[in-house]
Amino acid sequence: MKNVLVTGATSGIGKATCNSLLNEGYRVFALGRDVEKIKDLLDQFSEQLHFLAIDLNSYQEYTKIFDEFLSGQKLDGLVHCAGMEETLPINLYTPEAVQRIFNINVFSGIELMRFFAKKKYSNEGAGVVFLASVMATLGQAGKTGYCASKSAILGMVKSLALELAKRKIRVNAISPGVVNTPMTQKLFSQIEEDNIERIKNMHPLGIGEVEDVTPTILFLLSEGSKWITGQNFIIDGGYSIQ
Amino acid sequence: MNKAEFIKGLEEELELEITLTAETDLKGLDEWDSMAAMLLIGYVSNEFGLTLTADDIKNISTVQSLIERIGVEKFN
Repeated sequence: MKNVLVTGATSGIGKATCNSLLNEGYRVFALGRDVEKIKDLLDQFSEQLHFLAIDLNSYQEYTKIFDEFLSGQKLDGLVHCAGMEETLPINLYTPEAVQRIFNINVFSGIELMRFFAKKKYSNEGAGVVFLASVMATLGQAGKTGYCASKSAILGMVKSLALELAKRKIRVNAISPGVVNTPMTQKLFSQIEEDNIERIKNMHPLGIGEVEDVTPTILFLLSEGSKWITGQNFIIDGGYSIQ
Repeated sequence: MNKAEFIKGLEEELELEITLTAETDLKGLDEWDSMAAMLLIGYVSNEFGLTLTADDIKNISTVQSLIERIGVEKFN
């Protein structure tokens, strides 16, 4: 049975990824803050799914993930879904605010990889998938921190792909457009109705669902993608081609 | 933060030419646009940890109505 570590596992794309992996027979080590939100999957897949409640902003806790939670099992995959979205005009982007979004969106990923890259924690040929965003390559007013942090992921992915190629570990990013998740619902609650309509209309295939994104994640973890590394896959219903 | 400090801070964040008072109609300001609304949401979030929704923005008119939405008791 192959082992995959999933962060941000209790909602949105992270939870849907866990669900798909479990149905495909993977063993999933899931990280999140609130166990209640993943209780349904824990009940359904009690043998295959393991959960650790952790705040990924606390880097000193990461050793717990790799030295205790995995209990000696080596990973075949990592999917880093934890992250935050924020709309804040540049006038209000203090160093603390920039630090906060980079901590979870970028630095946590680098710290996870510092552990994952070690032979004792991962198998040769493992697959790593980072969640970037279509906003990693496009811009939007009020999204300096979000766009910058998601762009940073693309740089990090290419560098890590080269560094880990000798162990046949592949590192890729996916860049979703607007997908119907709790994070998007929060965003939509903060913007006006006609603005929501405008965003929806900018997606030729409509707003995405989490199930539109997870098959690519599973592919990037699978044997079929063993010659693909350092890439960014845009999954956005045609949003970015206009 | 008291009411006067809040109003002064808001005036600075929105970079207004005029002096803001509790009676000023926010949406009547020359500077009012979607960016100003975004600044207002960010300012209130930073100072009070409260995230205003699009409905809140739709419903507020004067600075006083904004203060009431935040909660008068939060100002000392």
